[in-house]
Amino acid sequence: MAGILFVMPAIIFMVVFVAYPVFDAVRLSLLVIDFATDESKFVGLANFAQMLRDAKAPMVAVNTLIWTVGSLFGQFALGLGAALCINRNLPGMQLIRTILLLPYVVPVIAIALFWRWLLDGSYGLVSYLLQAAALLAPNQSPLAIPDAAMASVIVANIWRGFPFVMISYWAALQAIPEEQYEAASVDGANTWQEFRYVTLPNLIEISKVMFVLRLIWTVTFFDIIWLITKGGPGGATEHWPIWIYQESMGFFRFGYGAALALTLAIALMAFSVVYFSLMRRDTR
Amino acid sequence: MSMRRLLPGMATYAVTLLLAGFIGFPLLWMLICSLKPSAQLFVSPPHLLPTEFTLEWYRNIVQQSDAPTYFWNSLVVGAATTAICLSLGTLAGYAVTRFEFPGKSIFLVSALLSYVFPAIVLFIPIYIIINNLGLTDTLLGIVICHTILTFPFALWMLRSFFAAIPREIDEAAWVDGASFLRTFTMIILPLALPGIFSVGVFVFVLSWNEFLFASVLVTSSAHKTIPLGIAEFITSFDVRWGEIMAMGTLATVPVIVLFLSVQRYFLRGVLSGAVKG
Repeated sequence: MAGILFVMPAIIFMVVFVAYPVFDAVRLSLLVIDFATDESKFVGLANFAQMLRDAKAPMVAVNTLIWTVGSLFGQFALGLGAALCINRNLPGMQLIRTILLLPYVVPVIAIALFWRWLLDGSYGLVSYLLQAAALLAPNQSPLAIPDAAMASVIVANIWRGFPFVMISYWAALQAIPEEQYEAASVDGANTWQEFRYVTLPNLIEISKVMFVLRLIWTVTFFDIIWLITKGGPGGATEHWPIWIYQESMGFFRFGYGAALALTLAIALMAFSVVYFSLMRRDTR
Repeated sequence: MSMRRLLPGMATYAVTLLLAGFIGFPLLWMLICSLKPSAQLFVSPPHLLPTEFTLEWYRNIVQQSDAPTYFWNSLVVGAATTAICLSLGTLAGYAVTRFEFPGKSIFLVSALLSYVFPAIVLFIPIYIIINNLGLTDTLLGIVICHTILTFPFALWMLRSFFAAIPREIDEAAWVDGASFLRTFTMIILPLALPGIFSVGVFVFVLSWNEFLFASVLVTSSAHKTIPLGIAEFITSFDVRWGEIMAMGTLATVPVIVLFLSVQRYFLRGVLSGAVKG
């Protein structure tokens, strides 16, 4: 009984501010709300039908895909490489580990501002180097070119996200029993074989879980794109969350925005369920 | 350890230094640029190392902008979020490691789900609730939103710290006649203090950095937090890079200092799956 009393404040908070909003998101997605009069009308699934017809939808979906695949690929590649390196106890590694973890706490707004400064057409260091290499016209910023803008926000997101992958892989590497390596070297395994048959198999479980978490958080990550490009130029970096934000906070179409948000949530949940059931069958 | 033979030491250094440069350079560049006088800031090609330093931009933002208000607001919101989140979280985290009660597993699973659940999906209904409570454009509204965002992970992390304290300690106190509440406040909380402190730091940092909810809720300059203040600077027509770099530096330094203070608890947080990236 004492347990209930201790946990009650948390439960009340979660019911009011988490459970109710989930329910409300479903309700809102079935409404059209007049912003001026605050009147709402039940329209059934009309918001979802409108989404399927929306000329913007295919472009936003493709952008979301490019953004997600690019970010995840970079984060996992750099994260694994970095984890293998920091796992060695070389002199100075402590300091390097600390530096590599900094993106965890650096405010996204700071990332956005130094990225925009580095890519500034007139005074930015990176823009200058690209201009000097004749990859850009004089005074041109990569953020003004659709494909380059997408690449820029993806690089910024890799900067921010790879330490998470690195630290998770590092934790897994630390947990590998030393005996497995000793056994491998007794069997005459070379360096590559040790990596292939001892290290990699020990990273599979964490990779499976981390892949889903990173996928969900990357698809739905809003701040970095919004603060660097606002989805521009010309919608080139507009991914699903930016679309949700613009419909609801830009045009005050809360019903439509809620339908877009719910679609995203359902798609991610469906993906996770299928993914985990495939994974479970795989290990059995 | 495990990879000691895959790459020679030099190659490992080369890779890590490259990565550390990738991470460290933009941060260092922001700091350097915040100290450059405008004659060296607005030139092309950019000067890597300035020959003169100035505090002009810092002076400008302190004297001529609302930056001090933004910093104060962020501090208040961060502190209040941390206090609420830790109060709810320590009570609940203690309860789930010590007591059985109906619905416990549902509670834990829903906390885990809401930890994974992305904010962008729920920001419209949450905005409407805050609006109905009359709390738009107030610091309290932002505090509630930040508590929603940070509570699930705080609970999971606190739970792992309480689980590490042996139950026998509680039982000894109960046998001696201490009430549940007294056992919790006088014995268990002090034992879990280092862990609670590190969770508090993470909650504060998340709140300090949060942009989406604050931007949706706040309209007046008097209630803006730092990320909103800086966003206003970078999206305005006349982009004042010197002041922006100074504000970015000032916003980043406190969280880095806080992070360094709890770094040793960090891996533990990761292992308990409690740190969202």
